[in-house]
Amino acid sequence: MHPDDQPLDKNVWMRRRWLLGLISLSPLAAGCRGYQYGHIVKPTANDMVGSHEAGSEVFHPLVDESVGKLLAKQQEQCVIGPDGSAQKKTICFVCVENKMSEDIGDFKDQLYEQIDSKILESDVFQSVSRRMVDAALHETRLRPDALMVPDNMNLFTAVLQRQGAPIDYLLYAKLTSGTTQRNSSKQRDYLLTLELTNIHTGIYSKESAEIRKGYHKTAMGGVWNYNPFK
Amino acid sequence: MTPPRIDASLRLNLGLLLCLMPCLVSSIGCSTHAKRVSLSRSLFYEGQLQACRDRLEKLHKSHRQDRDVANLDLAVVDLLDGRTQEAESRLKAVRDRFDKLEQESLSEKTLAMWTDDTARSYAGEDYEKILIRVYLALANLMRDGVDAESYTLQIQDKHEAVMQRLWGEAPVDTNSKKFTGLPIGFYLRGMLREQTHLDYDDALRSYTQVAQLLPTCQAIQGDVQRVTQGVHSEPGNGVLYVFAMVGRGPYKIESVEQPTSDALLIADRIISAVGPYKLPPTIAPIKVPKVTVPDSDIEGVRVTVHSQAVGSTVSIADIDQLALETSQAARNQLIARAVARRVIKKATVAAVKQQTSSNGLTSLGLDAAGVAWEALESADTRCWGLLPRNIQVLRIELPAGSHLLSLAPEYLGQIGRTQTQRQVSIVDGRNTYVIGWFPDTFTPPRILTSLH
Repeated sequence: MHPDDQPLDKNVWMRRRWLLGLISLSPLAAGCRGYQYGHIVKPTANDMVGSHEAGSEVFHPLVDESVGKLLAKQQEQCVIGPDGSAQKKTICFVCVENKMSEDIGDFKDQLYEQIDSKILESDVFQSVSRRMVDAALHETRLRPDALMVPDNMNLFTAVLQRQGAPIDYLLYAKLTSGTTQRNSSKQRDYLLTLELTNIHTGIYSKESAEIRKGYHKTAMGGVWNYNPFK
Repeated sequence: MTPPRIDASLRLNLGLLLCLMPCLVSSIGCSTHAKRVSLSRSLFYEGQLQACRDRLEKLHKSHRQDRDVANLDLAVVDLLDGRTQEAESRLKAVRDRFDKLEQESLSEKTLAMWTDDTARSYAGEDYEKILIRVYLALANLMRDGVDAESYTLQIQDKHEAVMQRLWGEAPVDTNSKKFTGLPIGFYLRGMLREQTHLDYDDALRSYTQVAQLLPTCQAIQGDVQRVTQGVHSEPGNGVLYVFAMVGRGPYKIESVEQPTSDALLIADRIISAVGPYKLPPTIAPIKVPKVTVPDSDIEGVRVTVHSQAVGSTVSIADIDQLALETSQAARNQLIARAVARRVIKKATVAAVKQQTSSNGLTSLGLDAAGVAWEALESADTRCWGLLPRNIQVLRIELPAGSHLLSLAPEYLGQIGRTQTQRQVSIVDGRNTYVIGWFPDTFTPPRILTSLH
């Protein structure tokens, strides 16, 4: 047998493998960095569920339920006018207050618009434009949470009246949350409350909607904590 | 004597490798980014913005790998020159590109192992990614402010992502002075929400976050108090925000480092993953980038309205601090990569010598080529080089109308001579913004006022 036909030394094989390995990595010049894609979510599709905070899956149903309840209740108390149709109440939707432990970021203005649009579409209320509310607050330099002080209320309504938008009701929307912690899992209860106050009588009514949501560090956390057989 | 036999496929591969070597050597940059931009930086600090822009645009065209950082530097030049729209579009382009580069490219990683880190696309440091959004918000506020709120939300998102990566699941510990973050994003959001005269709860939330990050700052406590009980401004008044970009910011230089034991451990894992070799017990010093911050002779900016002192700016973004902290955190990984690269190069040369059974002269030639291959490596010093050392702010409530504003640098309680004046217009119930650029006490400052 020729000496060169001897089986190759183990070290030589390892070195060859090393070289071949490195050389074979070189043709990866095609570029492996991906693109970003987007798609339109169908209206019938479920909302994405936020893994760390509340999102559409929480806020949209809260708005639907709480506004629905408010309109249904107010519909019952509507005054019928001489022409037989229900008289609309003039309402000033002041703001959405966030008292939750989470920051809602860009959802705040969207919640305002959603609630305001639903109220405007109803046959119960006649809503004052948000721009008028902003202008009145700007002019009076009143804080939204200070409008219930009688003098402030008089000043604020007087400015709106001067703008041609007299009001009967003030509406506040408030988001609150309550958190229950259990080891690495937690449950957060989200509550949206709509508070409607008659500025002439001071009588107020409240409607609210609640959604409970669980957050877990493991995929099985939900099954473990909400097991019906426990 | 019969020469050793080499099979055909290995011969082909070795041939390929030898052909590839000159290409790899040529792809290694002999000059670093730091050297290429040193003149532009000097021109910038001498106040020659046009000359600086020309140099940077030339670099932008000639060096593909420097394009993003050149764009960032150009955005700063544009902003200070009042070209806010151009600045914003440059920043947006780099923001989107850095977002894309957060995904690793295997081809670039492989190439970087054969050459050096400059072969990789620069994906931006963590602090730079936050600051791109801060500059976007400031540039937008100088123009019409339409997108400023969106940018502040983006700052918060990016800030949270960066802090999550640096801290993991552990809560941010402000007492440890490690990765305390950049409160400016929260401050800007609070400032804009307060201006609505409606969203005081959002403003309070944002200012509270600033106060947590800057627990000793008295001015922030005043902001918290105002949005808790007070209002944006008294009727007939508006608010002036003076943002001062103070000092010369961090940049990277090439430094020669001895690998730390932690870095050697990481490098050993990389080497073990790609081949049969072990890390040698000793590794000669290697070239890595190092963040450096020039000394500053300026502490803040004294603000005077109609010759009456109204206060001094306070820092809401210690860029130098965060740059040093984040670079320190990434250091071991960086050194480990350089060590692994060196071992791979050494092993490759050794394997070629073994396979070709080189005689004395060829062996010497291959050794020389190997040494040259290693020596031509340079550290990746790409960075956003025209940032200030910190960004400071002062809030002043003033009656609506026109006011004469004077800004002067401050050092150890003394006022610098390079005072500058500007007429500003205050709108009832609204914010007006001024950006002042003060790199040191002797360079003439630049002032930019918002258009709305």
